[in-house]
Amino acid sequence: MNTVISTQDLCKKYGNQYAVDHVNLEIGNGRIIGLIGPNGAGKTTLLKAILGLTTFAGELKVLGLDPRKDRDELMEQVSFIADVAVLPRWIKVSEAIDLVEGLHTRFSRGKCMQLLSKTKIRMDSKVKQLSKGMVAQLHLALVMSIDAKLLVLDEPTLGLDIIYRKTFYTNLLNDYFDEERTIIITTHQVEEIEHILSDLIFIRDGKIVLNSTMEEVQQSYFELMAPPESVDAARQLKPLNERSLFGKHIFLFQGVDSALLEPLGEVRTPNVADLFVAVMGEDQ
Amino acid sequence: MNTSWSITKLKVLMRREYWENRGAFRNTPAILGAITVAFMLMGLVIKVRFDNEGYTFREAMRLFALQSEAVRGYQVTQSMMAMSGFFLMVMSVVIFFYLLGSLYDDRKDKSILFWKSLPASDGLTITSKLFSAMFVIPLIFWGFLVATEIIMMVIGGLMVWTADQNPWTLVFGPAQPLKAWGLVLTGWIANSFWMLPIYAWLLLVSSKAPRVPMLFAILPPIILAVLQAWIGFLKTFQLQDNVLGITSKWIANSPAILAGQITGGSDSEHTVSVSLGMPVTSTFDHAPTITNMLDRLFSMQMLMGLVVTAVFLFIALWFRRRASDG
Repeated sequence: MNTVISTQDLCKKYGNQYAVDHVNLEIGNGRIIGLIGPNGAGKTTLLKAILGLTTFAGELKVLGLDPRKDRDELMEQVSFIADVAVLPRWIKVSEAIDLVEGLHTRFSRGKCMQLLSKTKIRMDSKVKQLSKGMVAQLHLALVMSIDAKLLVLDEPTLGLDIIYRKTFYTNLLNDYFDEERTIIITTHQVEEIEHILSDLIFIRDGKIVLNSTMEEVQQSYFELMAPPESVDAARQLKPLNERSLFGKHIFLFQGVDSALLEPLGEVRTPNVADLFVAVMGEDQ
Repeated sequence: MNTSWSITKLKVLMRREYWENRGAFRNTPAILGAITVAFMLMGLVIKVRFDNEGYTFREAMRLFALQSEAVRGYQVTQSMMAMSGFFLMVMSVVIFFYLLGSLYDDRKDKSILFWKSLPASDGLTITSKLFSAMFVIPLIFWGFLVATEIIMMVIGGLMVWTADQNPWTLVFGPAQPLKAWGLVLTGWIANSFWMLPIYAWLLLVSSKAPRVPMLFAILPPIILAVLQAWIGFLKTFQLQDNVLGITSKWIANSPAILAGQITGGSDSEHTVSVSLGMPVTSTFDHAPTITNMLDRLFSMQMLMGLVVTAVFLFIALWFRRRASDG
């Protein structure tokens, strides 16, 4: 594994408030990481630090480079979408392609045209004439045609309809992702990306509260759907979280042997959204 | 990063500036040229309607023809250069607003995050905007000035011809259009260097102003000037040079052909003569020669101006680097 991102005690303060609070991370290549957190948890700030868009304290290396000092060099190998609506409104589609091609040695015009051919976007349209969804499609097509080592997507599908979101994530996995690349995604629609993720990072109040691979999650977290008679027994095994649905009680366990749980009811792997709610609500 | 790759990127970025500002860079001088020609045609209509069988014009041409070839050539050449003054003034307004918006607009609509995702350094980005103001805009305006003057010469030539004079021997032969255009362009490019402190100030304001960059560009100098005048007056009870006075003098000393004046008494002796900048200061010679342009560029003033420019650009770059923060 080659380290793509490594941080030691990475901090970023706005006033007295830590947006990123002593974060220690090690991310290797060939991973698709879901960075999940509630609003204001520090996701965007952390990504901005990684992309050299903000100052910070502590250690941070991205592809062996310091994003503050070597930003220009870093951007040759990294591409990102910070927000869907950031393509300049005056630019024509053909101009945007010419521009990225002129600045990026790793841009493939052929690939971009191929991606755009599946859309209704016309070459001579200006961005301001496109619908919000089309702007996002164009931006994603541009970014996916760059052969980057690290791709950062901050809410890439915000405002897009579900059909396009599904297609996008499928394309991302099938056409773009390979063993050499690393993708970091933040989104509020966790359920749509969980099947493509290899790693999961939860962040709250600037702190990493969970950082594990999806296999680890599947091995150590269990969801138990228990009938009323097993509830007391289940509670004694110290669940992380308990909720009820249609009269059934649903418990979430970490590190409890599934053999102990199976007699109490139906055991399954929790989905990321439920895990998120359980872990985030842990000490509240 | 190697130099030739940087130059390639700079060209791409400058093309982007042109794409974004086609309206200001290309349409403005085109419209200016069109208006100029339209005015000439309107004059022509008035001549046809009110000038009894072209008598006045014919008479004017006759008197013009009486002058020596050298005088005729001089007047036509000077007039051609004088016309560049209008273009320069409009161009300065275009450059002013272009630079003020250049590092502001993309912060306002957040497309800065798209630009920052591309492998083009902030230094290169600022350079592309500065070079567009210094070279691209003047070259385009100059192209339209030349085109406008050629059209005017054709129309003027036809008019002279209808007045039973030979346009070639009377006007075009003695005139030196290439000299006029060459001198205008040289002056404009020299002016681009001369104006660097102002351009850099506009970039600096553009890189940081939270809103209405125009206000942030003109208010601080005005406040500073008032303070300077006030403090200066308290000390000496005399009004000393303040930042506005210095800036006005700076503009008056521009190496570009800006002012034109008509001198002479009777109709036949009217002489158009142009000068560099505005002949209201005595720091430099205002006669329109290359030597006088170079005098300004290799002066102590220019050296100080370059120091100011470097400071402003450095701060602009510092702000631009942090523009996506927060």
